[in-house]
Amino acid sequence: MGFYSSIEISASGLSAERLQMDVIANNIANVNTTHTPQGGAFKRQLVVFGEKPDTAVGQAEGSLDGDQAGNGEAGVQAIGVVNDPSPDKLVFDPSNPDADARGYVHMPNIEVVKEMVDMMAASRAYEANVTAIQEARNMGNAALGLLRS
Amino acid sequence: MSDIQALNFGSTVGVLSDAMSGAGTEQTVLANNIANANTPNFRRSDVSFKEALAATQATPPDPTELTLATDSDRQMSINGAQAPQPFDAQPQVDQTTQMRADKSNVDVDQEMAQLSINSGYSQTMSQLLQVQFMRMREVISGNL
Repeated sequence: MGFYSSIEISASGLSAERLQMDVIANNIANVNTTHTPQGGAFKRQLVVFGEKPDTAVGQAEGSLDGDQAGNGEAGVQAIGVVNDPSPDKLVFDPSNPDADARGYVHMPNIEVVKEMVDMMAASRAYEANVTAIQEARNMGNAALGLLRS
Repeated sequence: MSDIQALNFGSTVGVLSDAMSGAGTEQTVLANNIANANTPNFRRSDVSFKEALAATQATPPDPTELTLATDSDRQMSINGAQAPQPFDAQPQVDQTTQMRADKSNVDVDQEMAQLSINSGYSQTMSQLLQVQFMRMREVISGNL
């Protein structure tokens, strides 16, 4: 286990939460988008987080006896960005150029309040990871202080 | 002809450095728990490195109990004597608790509290180690 592995793990958390923030910002920005290259209204996007398989840590640590891999201490990764399968909101607005034959416009399935709540959760998780990095650095500094005294 | 002894700074330095390395492992595991705070189905891990640290110390036999003769260390010893074990702190996945709808059992508040405790512990250990080295330097330099 390297000296910096805990900082690298927290950094993987930082980048995952930042991706979450990006996707949420994209959702909020497209709250009224009715026209997309794929056709139809914009679909709300969700980030799927997964535990990162600990190949790097496991191999470095368990290369001699092999049974120490798989402790799951390698951080987090975003497995992918998927579309929310919930149905579009229908708004009656016959004058809209994207209205269908009955005069309904398919609006994105985005609720701004929900996005805001997700954004707060992502922001707090980001802060938690920052604090973990700071604590790891404090510990490293204390250990380095042994050489200075 | 005896072999050259490895440079030994005494058991205090050994225990303190084991404690710091255990705290480092704990820090890594807690950082992983926090990084996966939003991962569904994630199971938090934990290191019980203080138990491993306690096991590195030999437990002396209890003088009030009679000794039970054993011929293998897998047999039960009745008076509680225990040989020192090498320090080995392995993370263990906590499968027992579940507290969230997404089947993850990470509680960020608890992880942050543990992180803060662990950091303080590690810094205390390094302070103690520093003091120990200072004592040695005083003894070596001889001008008290």
